[in-house]
Amino acid sequence: MKITFDKHSLIIDGKREFIRSGSFHYFRTPGYELAKDRFLKMKSAGYNAVEIYFWWKYHSEKQGEYDFSGLKDVEKVLQAAKDAGLYVISRPGPFINSEVSAGGFPLWLIKDKEVIPRNRIGTEYHYSEKYMQYITEWYDTVIPIINKFDNVILFQIENEYANDEMDETYMRKLYEMARERGIKCPIFHNDAAPWGLWADVVDIYACDTYLYINPNQNWRKDSFCFDTLDNLECVFECKENSPSFIAEMQAGWFDKWDGSGYEHIRKDLSDEHINIVTKTALSQGVTLFNHYMCAGGTSWGNIACDEVYTSYDFTAPISEYGVLEDNYFKVKEINYFLKSFGFTNTEPVDEISVNDEDGIYSKLRKDNENQCKWLFLRNLNDESKTVKILDKYESLIKPYDMKICSVNLKLYACEIEFSDIEIFARLKNDKTETVFLIADENTYMYLSNGDKISGNKKDFDNLKFEEDGKVTQFVFLTRELCRKTWINNDKVIFNADYVAKEDIIALQKSAEIAYFDLKHGFSKNYFKTRPQTNHKIILKDLDVSFCAPEIDTDYDYSGWKKLECSEYDSLSCGLSDEFTFYKGKIPKTINEITLSARHLFAVYINGKEILSRNSYKIEKLQQIPETIQIHLDKKNLNKEENELTILVENLGFDKGFSGETNHPRGLVTFETSPKCDIQFFVNEKLSIERGDNRESDSPYLAKITGHFDVKFREDEIFSKYLYLKNFPYRRATIFLNGVKIGRYIKRANVQDKFYLINAFLKEHNTIDIVVWQKARNIHGSWDFKNEMKNVIIEVGDEIRYQLF
Amino acid sequence: MIVPEFLLKKIYQKGTLKKDEQGVSFELKNILGPGFISGFNFVQINDKKFDAADVFFVTDNTEIKGTDVSEQTPLKFRLGQKGTIKIADNTCVQDGINKIIIEIMNPEAGKVTVKFEDNI
Repeated sequence: MKITFDKHSLIIDGKREFIRSGSFHYFRTPGYELAKDRFLKMKSAGYNAVEIYFWWKYHSEKQGEYDFSGLKDVEKVLQAAKDAGLYVISRPGPFINSEVSAGGFPLWLIKDKEVIPRNRIGTEYHYSEKYMQYITEWYDTVIPIINKFDNVILFQIENEYANDEMDETYMRKLYEMARERGIKCPIFHNDAAPWGLWADVVDIYACDTYLYINPNQNWRKDSFCFDTLDNLECVFECKENSPSFIAEMQAGWFDKWDGSGYEHIRKDLSDEHINIVTKTALSQGVTLFNHYMCAGGTSWGNIACDEVYTSYDFTAPISEYGVLEDNYFKVKEINYFLKSFGFTNTEPVDEISVNDEDGIYSKLRKDNENQCKWLFLRNLNDESKTVKILDKYESLIKPYDMKICSVNLKLYACEIEFSDIEIFARLKNDKTETVFLIADENTYMYLSNGDKISGNKKDFDNLKFEEDGKVTQFVFLTRELCRKTWINNDKVIFNADYVAKEDIIALQKSAEIAYFDLKHGFSKNYFKTRPQTNHKIILKDLDVSFCAPEIDTDYDYSGWKKLECSEYDSLSCGLSDEFTFYKGKIPKTINEITLSARHLFAVYINGKEILSRNSYKIEKLQQIPETIQIHLDKKNLNKEENELTILVENLGFDKGFSGETNHPRGLVTFETSPKCDIQFFVNEKLSIERGDNRESDSPYLAKITGHFDVKFREDEIFSKYLYLKNFPYRRATIFLNGVKIGRYIKRANVQDKFYLINAFLKEHNTIDIVVWQKARNIHGSWDFKNEMKNVIIEVGDEIRYQLF
Repeated sequence: MIVPEFLLKKIYQKGTLKKDEQGVSFELKNILGPGFISGFNFVQINDKKFDAADVFFVTDNTEIKGTDVSEQTPLKFRLGQKGTIKIADNTCVQDGINKIIIEIMNPEAGKVTVKFEDNI
């Protein structure tokens, strides 16, 4: 595949291509089957490309060792993209951000004191030979895999990078390294803001555009946040002869531990945001975009950076569970329109006569491919506005809406002079074309023959024009039907929940499906789904056991790693898991201990909890180190040598966007008063992960276990959730068949429903929930069971489709 | 987000440093992108540091006291928008080169420090 480009667009094998891409994280949506499902849904929405980050740490736990097997098999992911008919935009970093722990760097890398991640300390440039040497190792491993696939059309180096003096050595070296390893497609970098950085280093300049980054901000009212987007065409002038490429165009937003919840963000953005952002970008001549994210995911295991919780739904068009959301259907409309008309060679037209009004944005573009013009109209007012166009036409734009109007569009058998009835899609052959229009009572089409057609129509209302043996047919569809209308090659399928490749129809309930193609016209078929069964169950007969024998005083930790230095943090100790246990002996002469630990921790003396704390705190984008002093009660220090246990939960390393990826985690500082050297022994992971199923005397960590069955059918697609209702515990870690799939923190109040990732489901399933228990009156599992009598642990279907 | 120093320097409008009886003033222009200022931490001119209470920012024909800008009451600063920093002290500047540091807060970038030099 030969990929070139000019100032208008990418050119693939000599043909201009508009790149409609969306981001997908294979590590957050693990396994071939899920990747295939999400890719097919993307393809159905008219995307023609998927952007894939390749995450270094996911594949490399130890320097020199790489794992691309099982769920980590990226070849299968790339093959799934190819099978779905999608191009791939590859982004192997080395730094990827994406709210993953340490921005994607392996922990062995950031632990190495000779390595300066990203050749940068703070904002200053410092070249690190060792860092570059390790990138060679990563590129040598991942690029040969990428090179196996001819559908890879773009390759990104680094991500959102800058340094004070803009020293180019690092970026030029990455470019060379990619070329030396056989990357033939254009190389780009993704600028964190439209500043034109590294434009001279890469082939194509690209940037992020996020205008909603604060869920407390009113993006509709603060229209000034569109300043950059409305002037993008100027930004892209930084690179001559390069098409306008938004490598991350906002399709949603991520939520944080201290955030407002995905429900709020989804409601706030609705489908208006993606409509306005995408169409504004089109009005600025963008011909390559990548919606970030297109498919949400789950930060299972130790994926997340400290900022984000388990769900990485991102309010994406395809949710974490694979549900098609309102913004999906809006994007589908835009993508179908773009697919119908190409849109790869347009230029701005200055002469435009639209009344100038606050909150109204207009832009006219000449389409050199279709020999017409497109008028973009946007209304950021909270009431409908009527816009006068060329003193001749009027268009009513609803609040927070944006539409693309056709101007002088010559069709086979008629010419549209002006129309604000939006086009959904067009199907055509040599003689006949059918243009599907979106019915809207306040819209009109003016034809050059003087006809005025109202958009106030019902589903399938149609008009036919004939001229010189050619036919143009307009077919109206209401927005409701547009959601259920799918174009697959040259066939239109109506009334399906969605349509996967090869015309596979997905339905939640029985429906009459209509088909249309230019050769056969309309036809119908009725599909009957199986009777619905109740797929919601409450887990019963829960088993409870105390699962932290490490806290017990008689626990033998002599086999644990003995710390030889006074640096206790997890990187210094060579530990990488979320949980770290520290054990040591302290004399009874100690009055006070002073420590800081990230992020959640508890201190036990002789098996008794004396402190439990959540030290996760970010202020002004900086992590706030928290040092705690604990006065030791002599009644707890009742032996000559007392056993100290500290359990620390690390919520992830800094993602490296503003801070440093190697900020310490685990036990960061520890001192006693009077000063005393404590010999610490350390071990990582919770006991159940280590396969240590001994019961503990202490009730501080308890494991609740339940079971459920799943029936798999060849003709069904489903996703399941686990819901913790009336859950009184401070913290919990959730395991599905031994795989950590969720973190729960009551105080944060952001997530009590967790995706039971299909890749980890079996016919017979075990849920283990390890809770950090506080109640002091719990003496045995019977007390515990009594305390949790109001707790409901529910497993149910988020979606279930039958395939035909 | 790391904003490179060379870009930050462009926020200062070269040649706008002025001294008069009321004090010292200079102009800034937002060339980075639309956003909010969520705090004026300090302005340092040569060796003298002025905290938010001594800093005034004039933009859109409105004079705002540094302490009136906070995370709860951020100031919109549009792309291309200009503003003048005013400080009621004219003893801090000197003939020849003056070294100026401004530290402001931005909800996305965190602490943003702009360093530049200019002559009166």
